Amino acid sequence: MAESPARTAFAEEALTHLDTLYRGALRLTRDPDQAQDLVQEAYLRALRYQHSYQQGTNMKAWLFAIMRNLFWDRFKGSRKEDVSLDDVGEFVLYEKLRDEGARPEADVLDKLAASEVVKAVETLPPLHREVVLLVDVEGFSYKDAAQALGVPIGTVMSRLHRARQQLQKSLYDYAVESGIVRGNGTPQVQQ
Amino acid sequence: MNCKDCSEKLDRFVDRELNSTEVLELQLHLESCPDCQDHYEFEAHVKRLVRHSCDCDTPPAFREKLRQLLT
Repeated sequence: MAESPARTAFAEEALTHLDTLYRGALRLTRDPDQAQDLVQEAYLRALRYQHSYQQGTNMKAWLFAIMRNLFWDRFKGSRKEDVSLDDVGEFVLYEKLRDEGARPEADVLDKLAASEVVKAVETLPPLHREVVLLVDVEGFSYKDAAQALGVPIGTVMSRLHRARQQLQKSLYDYAVESGIVRGNGTPQVQQ
Repeated sequence: MNCKDCSEKLDRFVDRELNSTEVLELQLHLESCPDCQDHYEFEAHVKRLVRHSCDCDTPPAFREKLRQLLT
């Protein structure tokens, strides 16, 4: 099907952000096939609503917003289904390791398996997971993340704060379970 | 700036969200406080760890399929 040059140019520009959309979709759906379906539908919708994109604004944030809105529509039905985070209190992994004598603290991070870090991210509730994906994985500013998520910057900051605490708690629990640190936080004897 | 102020601003420092005055104040504190400097490096390390762990490439076949569909 012959496409207009303007539509083709728009599609080409949009496709430069494909990796961001695919990574986001994969971590939200936790399924490669569903991620591909979601991304494809997001791109088709983006082309359909190309006129609503304002030139000079952040196309990556605009595309991510389309993709995550589709995710919520398709996979969650209602945003109310999102479960809230457990209240982990003020959990700061650095302080936990320091207080329990696991020094240097960064050595613990080097021993964490990437698959476990992904698991910790993917078990965050989606509303919190998507903030971590935007700010930590994709390097969005708070302002751009707020645009993509359709929320105030303060909401991005509070969700990010809680998400990071939960994430660090999950990583600590994994480090204890896998023997990277002892139950009281001290590191295992080096092999 | 004291350690409590520093700790409260550390996330925004790691995320490059502080204004230039706040950055200078925080950097001055870090230079004089090894504990906060350690904490800063740890939080930056966690952020890099999350980014690298979640990184993945779009499958080439899907990329090509999408390109043909859209252009």
